[in-house]
Amino acid sequence: MSRLAPSNPCQDRTFGAQGAVVPQEPLPLAQGRADALYVHVPFCDHRCGYCNFAVWVGSKELEPALNRAWEQEARWTLPGRLTTVYFGGGTPSRLSLPAMERLLKLVHQHFDLVPECEWTVEANPQDVTPQWLELLREHGVTRISLGAQSFLPQKLQALDRRHQVEHIWRAVELVQQAGLVLSLDLIFAAPGESLAQWVQDLHCAIRTGAEHFSVYGLTIERGTRFWSLRRRGLLQEVPEELQAQMYETTLDHLAQAGWQHYEVSNFARPGFQCQHNLKYWHAKDYHAWGPGAARHYQGIRQTNHPSTTTYLKRVLGGRSPVWHSERLSWETRRREALVLGLRTTAGVHPEEFAARWGATPQELAPQALENFLRQGLLTWHQGRLRLTRRGLLVSDSIWGELLDEEG
Amino acid sequence: MSQPIELIRNFCIIAHVDHGKSTLADRILLATGAISEREFREQFLDDLELERQRGITIKARAVTLHWDYQGQRYELNLIDTPGHVDFHYEVSRSLACCEGALLLVDAFQGVEAQTVANTYAALEQDLTIIPVINKIDLKHARVEEVLQEVEQSLGLDPSEAILCSAKTGQGVSEVLQAVVERIPPPQGDPQAALQAMIFDSHYDTYRGAITYVRVVNGRIRRRQRVRLLKAGTVHEVQELGCFTPAPTPKEELHAGQVGYLICNIKSLSEVHIGDTVSTADAGPELALPGYQPPKRMVYCGLYPADGEDYQELRDALERLSINDPSFEFVPETSDALGFGFRCGFLGLLHMEIIQQRLEQEAQLDLVQTAPTVTYEVLTRDGRVHRITNPQQMPDPGQIQEVRQPMVRVSFVLPAEYIGPIMKLCTQRRGRFVRTEYLSPTRAIVVVDMPLAEVIYDLYDRLKSITHGYGTMDYELLGYEPADLVKLDILVGGKRVDALSVICHREDAYRRGKAIVGKLKQEIDRHLFDVVIQAAIGSRVIARETIPAIRKNVTAKCYGGDITRKRKLWAKQREGKKRMKSIGQVDIPQRAFLAVLDAGAQKRK
Repeated sequence: MSRLAPSNPCQDRTFGAQGAVVPQEPLPLAQGRADALYVHVPFCDHRCGYCNFAVWVGSKELEPALNRAWEQEARWTLPGRLTTVYFGGGTPSRLSLPAMERLLKLVHQHFDLVPECEWTVEANPQDVTPQWLELLREHGVTRISLGAQSFLPQKLQALDRRHQVEHIWRAVELVQQAGLVLSLDLIFAAPGESLAQWVQDLHCAIRTGAEHFSVYGLTIERGTRFWSLRRRGLLQEVPEELQAQMYETTLDHLAQAGWQHYEVSNFARPGFQCQHNLKYWHAKDYHAWGPGAARHYQGIRQTNHPSTTTYLKRVLGGRSPVWHSERLSWETRRREALVLGLRTTAGVHPEEFAARWGATPQELAPQALENFLRQGLLTWHQGRLRLTRRGLLVSDSIWGELLDEEG
Repeated sequence: MSQPIELIRNFCIIAHVDHGKSTLADRILLATGAISEREFREQFLDDLELERQRGITIKARAVTLHWDYQGQRYELNLIDTPGHVDFHYEVSRSLACCEGALLLVDAFQGVEAQTVANTYAALEQDLTIIPVINKIDLKHARVEEVLQEVEQSLGLDPSEAILCSAKTGQGVSEVLQAVVERIPPPQGDPQAALQAMIFDSHYDTYRGAITYVRVVNGRIRRRQRVRLLKAGTVHEVQELGCFTPAPTPKEELHAGQVGYLICNIKSLSEVHIGDTVSTADAGPELALPGYQPPKRMVYCGLYPADGEDYQELRDALERLSINDPSFEFVPETSDALGFGFRCGFLGLLHMEIIQQRLEQEAQLDLVQTAPTVTYEVLTRDGRVHRITNPQQMPDPGQIQEVRQPMVRVSFVLPAEYIGPIMKLCTQRRGRFVRTEYLSPTRAIVVVDMPLAEVIYDLYDRLKSITHGYGTMDYELLGYEPADLVKLDILVGGKRVDALSVICHREDAYRRGKAIVGKLKQEIDRHLFDVVIQAAIGSRVIARETIPAIRKNVTAKCYGGDITRKRKLWAKQREGKKRMKSIGQVDIPQRAFLAVLDAGAQKRK
């Protein structure tokens, strides 16, 4: 109960307007309304060297339990209308057809989906089959996000991926034949990669004609095999200058080929921006099920336990799977909203921002904005505040100042 | 019943660190029945612990013992002396209260730098010196060679040396016998006007200042009104007595005796070591010779890492100075570091002791600037300025002459390292004075050099060159003109006051290059290029650039990433806030010691 009691007047007002429901009985999950759902499918055929996500490598014995757990979480989640659904992972394509079908049905049983609902499912190239695509299409899936990563065999190997380049081309063809929207994940700055190789890779991707790309510079995070390899000197990171060049090349080449850059790592043909992901960056609310998944309702953010077994044990035992829970202050929420908004290339419109958050960015962080505008890292463009290209490249050095109340 | 003056012996033990001074003192206490066997064991352990912690005895003590010898009851006053050169003046005052000294030399280590320095100090005071070779029970004891060293380096008769082991007690009664037979009784007239010398003091929370005195002439009684001649203050003696080793109140102390006074003095700053205690109506002519105010030779800035701890730091410094009047501090402001204090110390070791206590007792996070010596600057208007901070350096146009303190450094070391040490001293602008051989394998090298070079990193270099076998000591010679300049450090075009140093003009290029190189490592990259320069006046002599961050961007920031990323960004921001900002450049606190570390290992 107290967990959900509004802590300040501003927040109270917003609560009323958007109708978060304070439950009569404490439930294992925070309660709130949202028009987006994320489901985390923890399965992978193996763990890649750069991955620190919540994944479960190996047998599918856990599938029935996982189906039951999602169903349990659904019972703890307020029903309502959804405009976007996203199945991520892990690799949702590792689910067997019956398990996938049961999950697809669960979504329909629990929620109303608007007719134009965007529904994305992530997939490994080698898992994509006509039957699988048919099943998804039947249930309303509109979009496939393919973990292609690279079109160069050597690089796939360096990245520790199990699929072949042929798998990607075949999957691309199948998805397009099925009439689904296609998004490709790509990685640059793999160990040993040159700028020329990246350009070559990028042009292969462009030739697919996919509607959407998510392009990530390889980051070596704590808890990954690459991290320990690097620490032991067995893995060389691509030098920063080259990484910067690769990133800038990506921006230039994709723009030229007709893909709009709309968020730090995301590019789309006009009309094909990922509506689900935009909700994260627009600080909207979303439901979430599955291990490691994060839900957000009006400043309450909860993350489920990342261990699949712990998650299952808890949910099936009727206990909360929540691992981390935080209640953001109004101040933190609006500063976070500013940062997330600036990660989109559209940037932030000061009056629109103020209408929702009670202050313009200039009022929120006058000193920091002034400095960054003067340093040419931020700029005003058609009445909106946004990052310059140089600002984009060093944006992580900017956010701290905007999150700080003295900013 | 008053103790006849001819049955009093006042003596001290002088030794190099770790040669067993505390153990011998405790052994003497045991032999005279001042402490029990059990207390001896406990004290033995305590003192070892203390020595292990500090490596030296910081505070002098005076213990009064009684020993029956050949039908007479002798009063033996054992005065402990601080062992280190930083307390040279305090040592000299303690020695002035004695008629004799036990010169303690480790039978394995032999004569060391402080052995020599302390012996010379004792000879200056005309003390009778009894050489004592300690630790003869050690397997590796080399008694014959050490006796030879004593003769060679100190000119003492080796046949007069007593062999003992403070640890086992062997030879301790011979030591006591020698104290009675060889050390002369004190001179002094109990009927003359009162003259007592203050040789130490410490602060007791309940009683105020406890003052240690040696009565030279006359007598001093409880309830008597006395005057401290230098301080010019008059006090009533509330209690007097001696330590046996527990404080034992007495009715009076007379000429030749050693003891303590409690006069309701609230601050140690009123009690000057070397001052004379006399009667309330006494004139200045009764002052005993040799008084000197404390000479603070090393200064550094101490700043709270968090500006909000300023008051706490002030309180901590005040508490320390109550117990140690030779340490001083005054408020100072730095553009880079904010509000802090300029602190003066007798020497480098004294500085380290104070810092260690600050850290232990106050648990404050401190930023320390590089230590500097006290310079004298003669300006064209004929005035002499004492400079304890590079910031105080007058404009080069006004300077007629800059003088720096010179010291005579004595190194005692295995002969094979003479070459490397001489080379080091030459680099440090040392002037060779002499080399003496203590034995075929060990030598003393005496070199005059600027104190600034000594405090820079000389001790570390000595230890590293001699693999730990070399020891050093130094004494102040005085001031000498030198070609010194102020070297400024500029970060992002702005002068960082706390990083300025004074150095020899010929060293400026090397020092400047080392400092900017070190700062380049210490300062994080920024969103713009950061230029670091070393300059003399307006002339830049070294330069480095820290290139701007080129790429720092989180690729993925979806629902599950947001909390973690926000915390990470906020944490990075917090880290930056703890740094000191010069213009737009954030400088981490450890960078302020870069001037010290540049080209040297930090002294541990």
